[in-house]
Amino acid sequence: MTQTMRPPARVKARPAPPRRRSGRFLPGLGRFALFALPGLVAYALFVLVPIGMTAYNSLTNLNPFNPPTRFVGLRNYVSLLGDTEFRQALVNTIIVTAIITVLANVGGLLIAMLLDRPTRLYVLLRGVFFTPVVLSSVVISVIWQAILTDDGLLNSALRGLGVDEPPGWLSDPGLALYSIAWIMTWQMLGFCVVVYLAGLQGVPRELNEAASIDGAGALQRFRNVTWPMLAPALTINVVMLLITGFKAYDQVRVITNGGPGNGTTVTMAFQVVQTAFVSNRIGYSSALAAVMLAIVAFISVVVLRFLQKREVSQ
Amino acid sequence: MRRTLIFGLAAVLAAAGCGVGETTQPESGAAASGGKVELSFLVFETPNLDAAFWDAAIARASAKVPEVTIKKLVTPNIDRTAYAKQLDAAGNLPDILQSVNPAGFAQAGKLAPFTDEELKNFIAPKAGAIGGKVYQLPYNTQVIPVVYYNKDLFAKAGITAPPTTYQELLDISKKLKDGGTTPFVVGGGGADTWADMYPLTGTVATDVYKKTPDWLLQRAQGKVKFTDPDFVAAAKKIEDLAKNEYIDPAGLSRSYADTEQAFRDGKGAMYPMGSWFATSADANKPSFEVGAFPWPTDDGSPVTPTFTGGGTLVSATAKNVELAKKWALAFDEDKENNDAFVRKDGSIPAIKGYTPPADMGPVYNATVEIYTKGMADGSIFDAFSQEAGDGALPPGLADKAALGVQDLITGKKNAQQFAEFLDDEYAKATQ
Repeated sequence: MTQTMRPPARVKARPAPPRRRSGRFLPGLGRFALFALPGLVAYALFVLVPIGMTAYNSLTNLNPFNPPTRFVGLRNYVSLLGDTEFRQALVNTIIVTAIITVLANVGGLLIAMLLDRPTRLYVLLRGVFFTPVVLSSVVISVIWQAILTDDGLLNSALRGLGVDEPPGWLSDPGLALYSIAWIMTWQMLGFCVVVYLAGLQGVPRELNEAASIDGAGALQRFRNVTWPMLAPALTINVVMLLITGFKAYDQVRVITNGGPGNGTTVTMAFQVVQTAFVSNRIGYSSALAAVMLAIVAFISVVVLRFLQKREVSQ
Repeated sequence: MRRTLIFGLAAVLAAAGCGVGETTQPESGAAASGGKVELSFLVFETPNLDAAFWDAAIARASAKVPEVTIKKLVTPNIDRTAYAKQLDAAGNLPDILQSVNPAGFAQAGKLAPFTDEELKNFIAPKAGAIGGKVYQLPYNTQVIPVVYYNKDLFAKAGITAPPTTYQELLDISKKLKDGGTTPFVVGGGGADTWADMYPLTGTVATDVYKKTPDWLLQRAQGKVKFTDPDFVAAAKKIEDLAKNEYIDPAGLSRSYADTEQAFRDGKGAMYPMGSWFATSADANKPSFEVGAFPWPTDDGSPVTPTFTGGGTLVSATAKNVELAKKWALAFDEDKENNDAFVRKDGSIPAIKGYTPPADMGPVYNATVEIYTKGMADGSIFDAFSQEAGDGALPPGLADKAALGVQDLITGKKNAQQFAEFLDDEYAKATQ
């Protein structure tokens, strides 16, 4: 069978509509600048200027209650190296971040797979799981404090079940940090669920069907089809959880105030605020904030690069 | 292009200019209208001192100083000093502030001092002085701590009278514990870490301040240290109370309100707390009778740790400093306001000629009796971590001390380590 290829019919060129003049007043680039300028000004005022001020203050001994302010060079940064409280805050922050990143991802994925059904009940359940995400961290902290305190709901239930001395979830220095991490995980779980659900709904059904026909079991289908397709969702979740973990403040402030004891649940963000507004050492706290910014930025960029490479290779 | 950028910048600046005008205009207007000055007043709310309490007290003071209108600001939590610092850092220190610790603010010239003439009606006009000047009206006295106790639990354990020596306190604690009752209710959870301080405040008064009343002033001068034997001995008493399980570490998860509730629920027999608990116990009676005794010394001699001050402060940059001071004095000296403070917060007003309402309850009266006895026998001393003025802890150290007490109670630090920790923190805070 032969097929004759006909040349495409020539379309009679219609006269182009008269091009609207962009105006002498606002040429293309100028119009772009006009629209971008308010955003740029706001970004500069609320992000770049504060970062610049923080960087500058970190080189001073600024203490509004103990003037005069002097330029001290890198002394604050050198002091940080030997500051055991800073090291403890850094370790605590890393522990909290690691826990919420792993648990919220694993839990979120499992729940998303369970909820990936089109019935109304599952749609309702998605809303239930997402509710903690939209609640204020302070509200969530107050609720969990009522649950985890010594006389709280959890220990009352445990006592009811015959446990004579239930754990001090918030009063035991060995447990308090993990309680904080659990509360943050619980709050972020819904976010991960929604992101993974969106990812799951983007996995073409045909791929799973083809894998089934090829004899792949459920686990193999997940490993070789679903999981690689969820790479963008994993990237979003991991980066968001890393940022959430590194800026943990509200829960610590409301639930433990850094205790029990000195430094037990202190995170970097908490230490920055305490140093600035309780101890009045704004210069030193600015150095803390600058180091925190550098750490968060470095880890976020490295993880983002790694996960994005993974997305491409998938 | 350049013209476009200039136009855009002008538009943004114009918008920003409009915004500023809109926020400042009403204040200027209020100040100008009818010759009245609008002054901001920072207060804090607690279960005892609620919004209605502050509104009524403000109205009474404003009636006496009609040229002032008050814009009430409320702190987000009980830590009004930390919030005042945040407002100050943003350049928004309120004109008048209630019960904020003046340390730091005064030295930095942010507060207006009161003159001797303005302080003539106060019993202790120089209380809390900083460099000889008084920045906070010394309007009331609080005994910190008073040991409130559950008379039913004492009776159940066969205890017939409150202790008069520290050894008796230990004996009573042992009896209570052997009978299955936790001797002390101590809290400090959530943002209320400060609530764990009171046993230590008691032991520092009996073991340190009794010998050296100006100990903290000497600490500032470098003459003494926390690691000196007297202070370590005071901390060791708390370490031992916890080791003997007379203080339950699980209580450290309880907020201030939950701690009070735990005492009300009979979860412990003794509740070392500030004298403000008295009116709470009278107004909302527990199911048992509450008694009160001062923290005992080793030899039974009297020691009454107190704090006098805690009143209103005026910003040095208030819109009208003289009017603000006039209003602050009207607020703190008003008889009805003081009656309200007595009824709601168990305060013991330090105003000349003031007598509390005759119908105060038994716990308040027992508390006042402790104070009156202390005044009579000359056993009034400072309350550690509550001090204001030259003899106060540096900013932030009281919070650190409260966290350190948690370490003492949980066994994470012993008394010596706690004292070393305080010396380290003192050095950092005074850098």
